[in-house]
Amino acid sequence: MIKAVGITKKIATGKVLLNNISFEVRKGEFVGILGASGAGKTLTLKSLIGLMDLNAGEVWIEQENNQHVDIYKTKATVLKKLRSKIALIFQGYHLVQRASVLENVLMGRLGSISTFRSLFIGFNTNEKSEAFKALERVNMHSFANTKVSALSGGEKQRVAIARALFQQPNLLLADEPISNLDPKNAKTIMVLLKELSQLFPVIGVFHQPDLCAKYCSRIIAIKEGAVFYDGQPNLDEKTLEAIYGDELSSILS
Amino acid sequence: MTFLYKYKKWMIALVVLFAMLLLTIFLKIDISVLFADLHYVTDLLNEMFPPNFSIIWENNIVISSIIQTIAMAYLGTLLGGIIAFVFSLIASNNIFRNKWISNVSKWLLSFIRVIPSLMIVLIFVVAVGPGAFAGVLTIIISTIGTMGKLFTESLENLDPTSANSLRATGANKLQIYKFAIWPEFQPSFISNLLYCFDINMRSAVGLGIFGGGGIGYKLYLAMRVLHYKDALALITCIIILLLVIENISNFIRSQILR
Repeated sequence: MIKAVGITKKIATGKVLLNNISFEVRKGEFVGILGASGAGKTLTLKSLIGLMDLNAGEVWIEQENNQHVDIYKTKATVLKKLRSKIALIFQGYHLVQRASVLENVLMGRLGSISTFRSLFIGFNTNEKSEAFKALERVNMHSFANTKVSALSGGEKQRVAIARALFQQPNLLLADEPISNLDPKNAKTIMVLLKELSQLFPVIGVFHQPDLCAKYCSRIIAIKEGAVFYDGQPNLDEKTLEAIYGDELSSILS
Repeated sequence: MTFLYKYKKWMIALVVLFAMLLLTIFLKIDISVLFADLHYVTDLLNEMFPPNFSIIWENNIVISSIIQTIAMAYLGTLLGGIIAFVFSLIASNNIFRNKWISNVSKWLLSFIRVIPSLMIVLIFVVAVGPGAFAGVLTIIISTIGTMGKLFTESLENLDPTSANSLRATGANKLQIYKFAIWPEFQPSFISNLLYCFDINMRSAVGLGIFGGGGIGYKLYLAMRVLHYKDALALITCIIILLLVIENISNFIRSQILR
């Protein structure tokens, strides 16, 4: 479970980027964050992993032992441990191009194994077979020994999801994961994310309200830095127009 | 102003030509000398022919000094390359976060780079005596200078996203070096090093003439004692050696960069 309470971010000029954003996401939910360009979607996501200097607000994340920790008030060691349990996927995949698919998946657990082992011994067979299982989950196991640079965009994003899975996360955050993909691959990724939301909460920033309506369980719309809508994923024309304004025609395909 | 702009190309050509003329006068270059005294060159060539290839097998010093030259280039490239790599990790400001230290090491690298290697070898010949050791030390220093800059540039041009995503999962600096930076950097590291080996072979021959040992020193001796037929045989050996090395390194590089 992750809970944001009153997240507020201002910049020096006094402009408010995030204005008192609050929400709570539980296991089983696949939340799509929508909003016009510059509304604060990605900033909201960033603030959830403690990467922002907030002016006010708390982000509570559930730990292994069912305790809740505010990532903005915890010690560095706890924060590092929390982060190793938050999986991230991005529009640009962010994989190591010249390493193999399996190696990239294994890297997901660098944060939870000792530095000495990762530098001089490497991953054990147990971890390798687990990583292979994660690849099977996203149907990429036949590419395990291929270099990432040889893959297509949709395949890379599936590898990124396998890496996220192997990380054994308590939370998955996705920043425009399907913006670079064709409709067929975008659908595959959305189906995967929906299935994974049964294991841990999934929160993604999207530009595709139609796909979100189909696969997300809930939509949070951000407008001018504040939560404008929070509820069921099927948005009517009027709400969409209110969220996107002039941008609406370019969003609906 | 418009006049200047309209005839800009002609103006530049004129300035370049005028500078050429002035500098020719300054250096007192007289082309006619080359043709008037051409018989010196033909005499030398007559003396050199036919090359005395028998020195190669009559005397195993030639073979051993060829191996010495290759060894100098190999050791110098490898050791210099490794030191240059460590230097470039510090000098590239996307990897080493302390701007101050990386700028100082960048400045150090360019300082090393601007010293001509012939000057360095003269210093080392005084310091450790003439021979292969002075040559190797010189090649190490010049490799650090040239490769340090190349490595720094290719490290700074690496895509930072994969490193950032590993950092986000809690990986530390050493882990990021090994898993995100090294795999992306390795091909350019090896191919630049091979290219550098190529260059260092040539400079190992040249450095020999200045007391750096190896086949270059043998050539220098042969010329000094007027054994021109031996000298031509050595020159032929050197050219073949350099051509072979260059082709091998080109082949390996094309395989790596594929």
